[in-house]
Amino acid sequence: MGNNTLSRFMARQSKNITQFWRQFSRNKLAVASLFLVLIFALIAIFADFLYSYDFVTSNSLENALLKPGQTGTVYYHDKEITHTFILGSDNYGRDILGRLVHGARVSMIIGFATVAMAIAVGGLLGAIAGYKGGLFDTLIMRVTDIVLSIPTILMSIAIVAALGNSFFNLLIAISTSMIPGYIRIVRASIISIKDQEYVEAARCIGASDLRIVLRHILPNITSPVIVQSTLNVGSSILWASSLSFLGLGILPPKPEWGNMLSEAREFIQYAPHLLFAPGLAILLTVLAYNLIGDGLRDALDPKLKR
Amino acid sequence: MDKILEVKDLHVHYFSNRKTVRAINNLSLDMQRGRVLGLVGETGAGKTTLALSILNMIRAPQGKIISGSIRFDGKDILAMSKQELRELRGKDIAMIFQDPMTALNPVLTVGDQIAETIFKHEKVSKDEAWAKAEKMLETVGIPGARAKEYPHQFSGGMKQRVVIALSLACNPRLLLADEPTTALDVTIQAQVLDLMRHLIRTYNTSVLFITHSLGLVVENCDEVATMYAGEIVEYGTVEQVFGNPLHPYTRGLFGSLPDYSEGAARLRPIPGLMPDPTNLPRGCYFSPRCPHVMPLCEELHPTHTSMDGHLVKCHLYQENANVEQPI
Amino acid sequence: MSNNPSELPILQVRNLKKYFHVSKGTLHAVDDISFDIRQGKTLGMVGESGCGKSTTGRLLVRLHESDSGSIRYDGIEVTRASSKEMKVLRTKMQMIFQDPYSSINPRHTVASIIGEPLKIYKKVRNMQEYEEKVHQLMETVGLADRLYDAYPHELDGGRRQRIGIARALALEPQFIVCDEPVSALDVSIQAQILNLLMDLQDKLKLTYLFITHDLSVVKHISDDIVIMYLGQIVEQANTEELFRHPIHPYSQALSSAIPVPRLNARKERIILKSEVVSPIDPKPGCRFAPRCNYAKPECGEADPVLREVMPGRLVACHRAEMFV
Repeated sequence: MGNNTLSRFMARQSKNITQFWRQFSRNKLAVASLFLVLIFALIAIFADFLYSYDFVTSNSLENALLKPGQTGTVYYHDKEITHTFILGSDNYGRDILGRLVHGARVSMIIGFATVAMAIAVGGLLGAIAGYKGGLFDTLIMRVTDIVLSIPTILMSIAIVAALGNSFFNLLIAISTSMIPGYIRIVRASIISIKDQEYVEAARCIGASDLRIVLRHILPNITSPVIVQSTLNVGSSILWASSLSFLGLGILPPKPEWGNMLSEAREFIQYAPHLLFAPGLAILLTVLAYNLIGDGLRDALDPKLKR
Repeated sequence: MDKILEVKDLHVHYFSNRKTVRAINNLSLDMQRGRVLGLVGETGAGKTTLALSILNMIRAPQGKIISGSIRFDGKDILAMSKQELRELRGKDIAMIFQDPMTALNPVLTVGDQIAETIFKHEKVSKDEAWAKAEKMLETVGIPGARAKEYPHQFSGGMKQRVVIALSLACNPRLLLADEPTTALDVTIQAQVLDLMRHLIRTYNTSVLFITHSLGLVVENCDEVATMYAGEIVEYGTVEQVFGNPLHPYTRGLFGSLPDYSEGAARLRPIPGLMPDPTNLPRGCYFSPRCPHVMPLCEELHPTHTSMDGHLVKCHLYQENANVEQPI
Repeated sequence: MSNNPSELPILQVRNLKKYFHVSKGTLHAVDDISFDIRQGKTLGMVGESGCGKSTTGRLLVRLHESDSGSIRYDGIEVTRASSKEMKVLRTKMQMIFQDPYSSINPRHTVASIIGEPLKIYKKVRNMQEYEEKVHQLMETVGLADRLYDAYPHELDGGRRQRIGIARALALEPQFIVCDEPVSALDVSIQAQILNLLMDLQDKLKLTYLFITHDLSVVKHISDDIVIMYLGQIVEQANTEELFRHPIHPYSQALSSAIPVPRLNARKERIILKSEVVSPIDPKPGCRFAPRCNYAKPECGEADPVLREVMPGRLVACHRAEMFV
């Protein structure tokens, strides 16, 4: 009996997942983007197998500013080896492809984690402000206004300065600057939805506030949040590089895409490839997240099923 | 009799998602001058599409008048140039929309809006147009001094009066009234209809009165046409149709009304739903819901049968149908 | 009065008030109303937009909190019920909403909408029982089995309204507030839903408060009627009596305004003066007086009290005797 019920439940869940995937896979661009993000993630995970960290962070000035495909002699662990610089080398003679591969670790985490943190905190505060209203709303929104009135760069500097310079604190600093946006979006969407009759109907059948927010309100405000978050992934990668430019967060020689981009600026005339490689990586990641976001939004909308 | 409007074999389609919505299917309808024709039907029957077609306002690329002709006072509306159409709309043919809240421009005073229409269509000075606008407002029972007020300063019923004043400002020959009182409360509805009846009589305007309420038809109209799935299934004088409804759909509508079956414990609704306009049945469009359906109905689309000018599109009344007429 | 248990009121409302604070002042949405609903019967509540009828319905099931007055359901005071008592009350009182498009969540399937109350109240022990119960509810309201996993947007207004009804029935309530359940539907569908509601009442011995602006509908479905105007009850009577002989001038005007779809039924309309007065900070005196064709100066001085002018006929009008 119980087993039967469980298997029926599982069958229904797996049916939902297949249905979701069928819908998502209709959007070819979204599938390709998902594939790309997965590849980037795999590269980030297995970065140490592709290039050693020491190798991509140690200088060899005689190989500085090599063109893509050129070879050079590298002294590495007291041995002399001939190495092909597939994407060329930077002004310190470091392999660009290697730095991209290791930079993927940092950049992918920054892009993903900061947005996730901002959604969690901003979503919760926005939900409370929108659903509860009254004093909660006034309090949360006035604090948000105050936060918004502080220049974001100052804000981030202040946070890192107060909490100490570490990777995790960098994530906090970046996501803090995005939180007000989510509070506003979530609050506005909830206010427009909470007066719908189906929310009243849910109260009428005895649903708790938590259930109403989680089951009836949040699923209906996913679209604006997804759109906002896919836009934020790119800007947070760039934001991290601005902060490291100021000496906060990720510090050289640790590779990071935004960092690589800002260092390459000086050589834009002699070695444009220094700019293209990290620029393209950021562009592709941002684009991929945007396309996945579109696909996700459509796949979650029951109106577009079948 | 003198016909003000002749619609012949009209087909209007809308296009969406590679599907064709057949909104109006082979519709023919005549309107007599100086009479009020009630057009009855449910949501999605094509009533508003017909009104928009009469103004040649079906917008491409979503919608298209596929074939047919619409003659207004002998002139083919579908063959008119843009210039001719601009003169036609608002002057010769005016339309009252269902929702008075959205039919008026919120940033212009009501006087400006009425005067603008008059100024555009008649050879008068701005001052004369304004004076006439004030006079029109007084005709619909609003003090002329209120012409300087904005739409939001009027209540719902008053706004609909303004819309009526606006539509009658150039003394149109044909008025298309699309559910003019649906958005209003019943006691206000009574006031507005009372006023409309009075004005129509005074100006001798011909009216196409679109509504879903049979009660309003019997009180306001001379003729009545029942519309179903984009075609007219029954047409006759109010006496003919209300005295002896022929088409099973018209009868179904009457059976659905609580006030018609007075004393009856249960209503007699029409079973089922309107057919999907992207996928209409092969034979009679009403056949899937019809209580008198015959094998012939599912095969062949019926044509109009006339009995003393009382038209009905149903196999039950066609001479070649081998069935007895229902009681 | 009578010893017949079906004559006992299941719900008693006394001096109920609900004011909303708006930017222009205080909106008297529901202003001191009292009425009873008899068990197993339908009370029709009629009035035009903004008369407070929907607010009253929401006060009864406590979607709004009342400002003062009492609502007693089966001996329990609804306005002061604790959240624990409310949880029990919600299994007895339910609501059907006006708009079949906004009253069901577009993201949920038919089954999960209908089954949600069962889950919240843990009315079923396992998935199998849950599915059986949902199928049974769907059958009760006439929804085909194949719609179990369908989404609302695939369905028309009539079927959506059936979902709303099934959801309200899931907890097996005795009393249902029907807030304009058919006004958004086409006539042929409207008749299907009205028949369904009446069949359910017979079968499940339900009590309804039926809120509507459509007099012909309320005449068809109600046993008793209250007519509201700007937050107050102006007349209350048995349906048959009220339509045979409306006493309050507003009831007379409403009743004359029903368009009757029959030949030779054209009747003299009572055309009221001006338009509805605002319910924000109303002046003392009869609220209908500015539109009333029979108003006298004294009507603007004191509030008329709802009083019995004939056996079983309650009217709030200073000049009621004139119309008896």
